[in-house]
Amino acid sequence: MNLDDALKTFVIESRELLEQMEDALLHIEQAPDDPDTINAIFRAAHTIKGSAGLFGLDHIVRFTHAAESVLDRVRAGEVAVDGDLAALFLQVCDLLNTLIDGVSEGAEPDADTEAQAQRLIGQLNVYTQGEAGIPDHTAPAPAEARRDGPEPTLAEADHWHLSLRFGSDVFRNGMDPLSFIRYLNRLGRIAHIVTLTDALPVAAEMDPETCYLGFEIGFESGATKAEIESVFEFVAEDSVLHILPPRSKISDYIELIRSLPEQEMQLGEILVRCGTLTDKELQAGLDRQAHGDRHPPPPIGEVLIEQTVVHPPVVEAALEKQQKVKEQKRQEASFIRVDAQKLDKLINLVGELIISSAATNLIAERVNMDGLSEATSTMTRLVEEVRDSVLSLRMVQIGATFGRFQRVVHDVSKELGKDIRLEISGEETELDKTVVEKIGDPLTHLVRNSMDHGIEPADIRLARGKPAYGTLQLNAYHDAGNIVIEVSDDGGGLNRDKILAKALERGLIETNQVLSDREIYALIFEPGFSTADQVSNLSGRGVGMDVVRRNIQSLRGTVDVDSEPGVGTTIRIRLPLTLAIIDGFMVGVAGSSYVLPLDTVVECIELTASDRAMAGDGTYLNLRGEVLPYLRLRDFFDVHHSDIQRENVVVVQYAGRKAGLVVDDLLGEFQTVIKPLGKVFSLIKGIGGFTILGNGEVALILDVARLMQQVTSREDGRDAVRH
Amino acid sequence: MAKTILIVDDSTSLRQVVSIALQGAGYDVLEAVDGQDGLAKLDGRKIHLIISDVNMPNMDGLTFLREAKKLPAYKFTPVIMLTTESGEGKKQEGQQSGAKAWVVKPFKPEQMLAAVAKLILP
Repeated sequence: MNLDDALKTFVIESRELLEQMEDALLHIEQAPDDPDTINAIFRAAHTIKGSAGLFGLDHIVRFTHAAESVLDRVRAGEVAVDGDLAALFLQVCDLLNTLIDGVSEGAEPDADTEAQAQRLIGQLNVYTQGEAGIPDHTAPAPAEARRDGPEPTLAEADHWHLSLRFGSDVFRNGMDPLSFIRYLNRLGRIAHIVTLTDALPVAAEMDPETCYLGFEIGFESGATKAEIESVFEFVAEDSVLHILPPRSKISDYIELIRSLPEQEMQLGEILVRCGTLTDKELQAGLDRQAHGDRHPPPPIGEVLIEQTVVHPPVVEAALEKQQKVKEQKRQEASFIRVDAQKLDKLINLVGELIISSAATNLIAERVNMDGLSEATSTMTRLVEEVRDSVLSLRMVQIGATFGRFQRVVHDVSKELGKDIRLEISGEETELDKTVVEKIGDPLTHLVRNSMDHGIEPADIRLARGKPAYGTLQLNAYHDAGNIVIEVSDDGGGLNRDKILAKALERGLIETNQVLSDREIYALIFEPGFSTADQVSNLSGRGVGMDVVRRNIQSLRGTVDVDSEPGVGTTIRIRLPLTLAIIDGFMVGVAGSSYVLPLDTVVECIELTASDRAMAGDGTYLNLRGEVLPYLRLRDFFDVHHSDIQRENVVVVQYAGRKAGLVVDDLLGEFQTVIKPLGKVFSLIKGIGGFTILGNGEVALILDVARLMQQVTSREDGRDAVRH
Repeated sequence: MAKTILIVDDSTSLRQVVSIALQGAGYDVLEAVDGQDGLAKLDGRKIHLIISDVNMPNMDGLTFLREAKKLPAYKFTPVIMLTTESGEGKKQEGQQSGAKAWVVKPFKPEQMLAAVAKLILP
């Protein structure tokens, strides 16, 4: 680890803290008095400042200091949090992000950023009422002014004299007097040192934890008095410390001798021994003051009352609270940051491992050796476990992604002049990191779109008997091997007729085409489609929704719309849980192997001759009284094979609908490493990828979502006709 | 044998920089992310010095020190508290909790080394 690594950590850490700060800021408008929230904001600013100082990033220190000072007053209850202050801090957050970006790029902040920082600091300082600027801790305090003028009685020696009487508690406080004295050597040279042991009691009364020592030190140094004092700053409060600069007045030394508890004569001698005073100087000094007032020396070394540090009830309460957060904390503490590329490599390797273990299995079956097939089945199970745990490494909760939308909704609703609240649920739903990264943009678009077009202006809402504020919901949940993300609003809903008219106008559909509601709503995802009468800053330019769908499809996902006029619209995104490896179900059609994602398979039934006869037009089955549309893959892929012994139906479920897929053979479960098809094949419907089998053959992976569309569009078409 | 310093702070980068500086000066360094973790890291180990932040999630520095000082092994362990210039009150509280030494944030690595050197040798 070196400082560059630490700087990288600083950048990552700061970004996380800023994200938390932003969250807290958005939260604070709802609960302005929550001390936890204010603390979180304060801590973020404080931590960034502390670390920035270590790296010498003074511009960040200056800026965060201004912010922290305001937050300090907020914590103290001197400044109330209102919308303005929250907005100001959001700007602070943004600028800090810019500054941190600069740090990660190794660039100095440009003039614009500087100017903005200055402006914000100015605004922040309003709240601290002119209390600004960092007290400079590095500058030495002004050195003791040398006395000018002819002083007849100056000592001749040119070294400092230090008189130290350590407090009786220094050992108990973990301080070692010797280490301070050793530290003095950094500032100069200890010319003489005399240890005073007068305060030591008789052995029987001595407390080994108490310090009884004093030191008289002659010290040669070019340091200032403040620098020398700072050596002892940690013990300054409990100890008696006298520092006399070189060539002080002899009367000062005498004063010192008086003020110390030891015997006068003895101390004087010590000073002489230290070389601080000459015999003559001492004698002269003592003589001169012999007739002056004499105060009894104040006794030091009073045993300080041991402070009661612990208040049991406080500790108990603290412990109780800690217990509650313990679980959560343990999790936090045990996170490791790993380079995402390393994970990708691991997943690729596991993919290869699965293929090669399938090959091993195949060989084991062929040679039919008892021990071997047992060993391979154990291995297969382990490989499966390895696969699951490796894949789970990439799973992250969607909460962080959702959380960002608080800000989006906050900003956009201000921009639009609408009062819109965001409700989030299912934050703990996990999905693949790659998916999380790529879903941000489409989601942003959907959210903005709902806010702009979905939710009506307040007056219309009130007229419709709805609350004046609109509600936008983000929800996530798992459903049959997929993750579903919903963006719903309680707005006006989609206008079916308007969409139809527009689609006709744009030539997206034919005049006589019969469409179900779902299909009509899905038209909004067609390229070049926009129903907004007024093009706003945010959306309505007719680009976007098609891009949203393309983005989602590139993740092997689908998107559909539910809408009810006057009640609201829900846009539902379905995404596969993982992108790389799935549990597959292998079937055979006309001598080739195909793989279905196992999660979509509900059951398998035999297609009997009577079923075939009853099916009539050949597209519906009676599944225990339920109407089940089905699709014969042999027909779908237009492959012909002479002898059909018997057919099987795989009942699959997707997006809440069931359908049957008619295949020849059921080949069983199979771990499938998904390999993408080349571009040439991208137009083929119903195939989502391919995989390599243990024997080296290729099996195509069926895209159940697309097959389902085939089946259900046929069905919806029928519904629409019937209506 | 090198002396061991435990640094307790919720900022990873701060811990890293301080660790680099202290290790460079010949100390062994243990890191903890907050008070709770700090108590776990103590674990009866011989620790020659504790450096602790005040404001941390889960368990703050003052609580951590009071708890640590209850343990006989750490009763006399010197403590450097990381304070802020605005935290005079906290500094006093810190002293009552057993932290007699302090370094004011933001600080440079040299300032930390100087404070440590006043208390213990490598």
